[in-house]
Amino acid sequence: MASDPLLEITDVTKRFGDVVANDKISFSVDRGEVHALLGENGAGKSTLMNILYGLYSPSSGTIRFNGEPQAFEAPKDAIDAGIGMVHQHFMLIPRMTVLENIVLGEREHTATGDGVVDRLKRLFGRDRAGPRKRLSELAEQYGLAVDPSAKVWELDVGEQQRVEILKALYRDIDLLILDEPTAVLTPTESEQLFETISTLVDEGLSVIFITHKLWEIERLADRVTVLRDGIRVDTVETDSVSRSDLAEMMVGREVLFDIDKERVPTGQTVLSATGLEARDNRGLPALEGVDLSVEAGEIVGIAGVSGNGQRELAECLIGYRPLTAGQITVDGENLTGAPPRKIIDSGVSFIPEDRYAHGCAETLSVMHNAGVKIYRNGELDNSRLFLDYDGLESYADSLVERFDVRGVTDVTRTPAGTLSGGNLQKLILGRELARAPTLLVANQPTRGVDVGAIEHIREQLVDQQKDGTGVVLISEDLDEILDLSDRILVLYDGAFVYETTPTATNKWELGVYMSTGSAPDTDEQLIPEAQ
Amino acid sequence: MSPELTVENREEVPQWLSYGAPVGTILAALLVASVPLLWLNINPISVYWELFIIQPSTVSGFADVLTTALPLFFAGLAVYIPLKAGLWNIGAEGQLFVGAVVGTTIALYVDLSALLLVPLMVVAAGIAGALYGAIPGYLRAEHGVNEIISSLMLTFTATTFTGYLLRGPLQGSGGQSATDRLPDAAQLPSLLTPRLHVGVVLIVVVAIVSYILLNHTRLGYEIVFIGSNPAAATQAGISTYKVYITVFVLGGLLAGVAGIVEVAGVHGRLFEDFSPGYGFTAVAIALLGRNGVGQVLLAALFFGVLTAGGTTIAVTQNVPSALVDVIVALTILFLLTAEFLKDHRIGLTWGRSEADPQTGGSQ
Repeated sequence: MASDPLLEITDVTKRFGDVVANDKISFSVDRGEVHALLGENGAGKSTLMNILYGLYSPSSGTIRFNGEPQAFEAPKDAIDAGIGMVHQHFMLIPRMTVLENIVLGEREHTATGDGVVDRLKRLFGRDRAGPRKRLSELAEQYGLAVDPSAKVWELDVGEQQRVEILKALYRDIDLLILDEPTAVLTPTESEQLFETISTLVDEGLSVIFITHKLWEIERLADRVTVLRDGIRVDTVETDSVSRSDLAEMMVGREVLFDIDKERVPTGQTVLSATGLEARDNRGLPALEGVDLSVEAGEIVGIAGVSGNGQRELAECLIGYRPLTAGQITVDGENLTGAPPRKIIDSGVSFIPEDRYAHGCAETLSVMHNAGVKIYRNGELDNSRLFLDYDGLESYADSLVERFDVRGVTDVTRTPAGTLSGGNLQKLILGRELARAPTLLVANQPTRGVDVGAIEHIREQLVDQQKDGTGVVLISEDLDEILDLSDRILVLYDGAFVYETTPTATNKWELGVYMSTGSAPDTDEQLIPEAQ
Repeated sequence: MSPELTVENREEVPQWLSYGAPVGTILAALLVASVPLLWLNINPISVYWELFIIQPSTVSGFADVLTTALPLFFAGLAVYIPLKAGLWNIGAEGQLFVGAVVGTTIALYVDLSALLLVPLMVVAAGIAGALYGAIPGYLRAEHGVNEIISSLMLTFTATTFTGYLLRGPLQGSGGQSATDRLPDAAQLPSLLTPRLHVGVVLIVVVAIVSYILLNHTRLGYEIVFIGSNPAAATQAGISTYKVYITVFVLGGLLAGVAGIVEVAGVHGRLFEDFSPGYGFTAVAIALLGRNGVGQVLLAALFFGVLTAGGTTIAVTQNVPSALVDVIVALTILFLLTAEFLKDHRIGLTWGRSEADPQTGGSQ
């Protein structure tokens, strides 16, 4: 019995209407195995995992878990059976605290006595002390530090993910599904997560790890199953394949990671921000005296660990977050304190960090979302009052075509929220770039999207730069920063601590600045001192 | 073995269900409502026949349906338009009262010919309702005050203050809490038949204008976008401030007009209970019709049939008038349940019982 796989999926098929999201997929996960699931966005990975987690029911096929056939009707069944899942899009309630989110749906009370009070407690009580203790034990055990009484909306994306992982761990599980967990983590945090996963596996748990980062598979996984267009391409031992083999299996063609980038001569300043200060959602200082200037045709990369003021900086630059001090000038025009509309009209485009919460209206059509930056401009045959919906529709069609947004059947009917992450990001990118902006503020533009889409998005950013757009590129992906930037700034604790160029630095040095805020402790004095 | 009820989200709503659900649930509501009718020895079929077929097919019955549907439709839109922007206007009743009071005051104290007086009353009532609606809209936009609470509380303020006026400054010679009869110049002329006032023409106008507003204008686009994701809308340069106030102003305007049309077209005077809770039924109407202006109109007409016919069958079929309210209430209840059934799949299975009941799994 011990040699039986923990999980065995056989011929699972899932149809949505006419679309086959999963076509007869089979694979198995052994006890104590880290099994990677690799595939582009829209390949059917998330659908398959949602079936496993009881969110969808399969159209056909069987799932055996712990030796028994399972028909999960709801996530509760999957959790009861011992499967936990951390979704790509967090399923947390922002207004509640970390602890409340974790114990949500959990009714087990630590009061165990037989007395009336303890019984009532078990029946109605909301146990605080027990879960809190258990949570801090778990947090310490797996190195996932979070403040249990912080409200979730106050946390940055990285911290929210830690809460999600803890929430799954909290419910004694045998199998943990992680849907693109490192997409939101910094290199250091990812390393910490990998250690967490190793610890879990050492204790006999199994992990399914959805990703499209190839090196993570090499680093972590025992075996990898590759999906493409809803079909299983193959399941292979990680040791037996090379990175480029995997990439080819996933995309179906050879992938080039090289970006054809040329330095574009610059001159004119498109963004000049001085002394920016702002507060975060909790009202605490998040930016403390940031100076930033960007020239036309320049990409300024801003590296930093999530939560050091990136989000606040991006939101200040587009007028969404009020400044407490400082000045912003775009293309010679003083826009300090201007509302978003004014700043947009001055030629500033924005790619927000969270494409669902801030980048789109999920329930509305692709057309509505495509048009939100141009619906009031001369682009359409508009009067002041009426909106030219026919024009908007053909505009949306052209964006979908030009930026290769897949999964759209009818721009007026397909809701933006049904697009896969990478395709939605392409739509947002297209919407922002098609206006030929003077300045583009891009916050984590390739986070959580697949290799194919990353390639596409990076090419578009470089093309845009060649056309003379100034780009503020905020990213935690150091490869991206190093590949694309003309100039690099490291944001630490709300201020820039280091300025360099891609040729004068390396990943290691940037990593040290990102995590400590100061120069590496080294005998060599080759690296210039910050500030 | 024990029965177990399972509830799961539907991934997609089948087409037949989205149309069939409202019809099916109305039938179900009528079925349940027939229980008390049978208990009172009244034949439910003849009651329903009378209510839904006989009454609306008479000239005066049809006129009553239209004149009742008017305030329901306008107040329904007063809830529906803010709802499109993601806001709840629970204060349509109050805005309706304010419109009625201001319009009535002008009718009683301004001496003009009908051609000037009636438009003046309607415009003034609309503006008054709009201003009253603007208060919760402004508080929400500027200070983030919860519009559900503020609009509801302002309703109580409006209805209570109307009560004071009707026992004080506006009290008529009859000694009751009602105004004098409006002068003839202020009464809405009738159209084709005595029970039908010209105001019903506004139903068509308002339906068309609202439809165009929401589906063909820039403002409509902004309203819908904010309703779907206010944060994304703000970052895209759409002003929630402007839209929040605008939708409440539009809602208040329609409710205010409904108020004076009800007074000048139906009752001929203002009294405390001139509205049988139009502004509250409006919330159910807006919810039922939330897929479009046309659906709001259909919902308003349906409630118009129930409300108008209910008064008649209370007399002709000897149905206690409270039972009519029961039918209305059951219909609302069933229709809201239908929305849930539409979005969820319910299954009943016989299986082993679980020892400990647990709250639902996380999603």
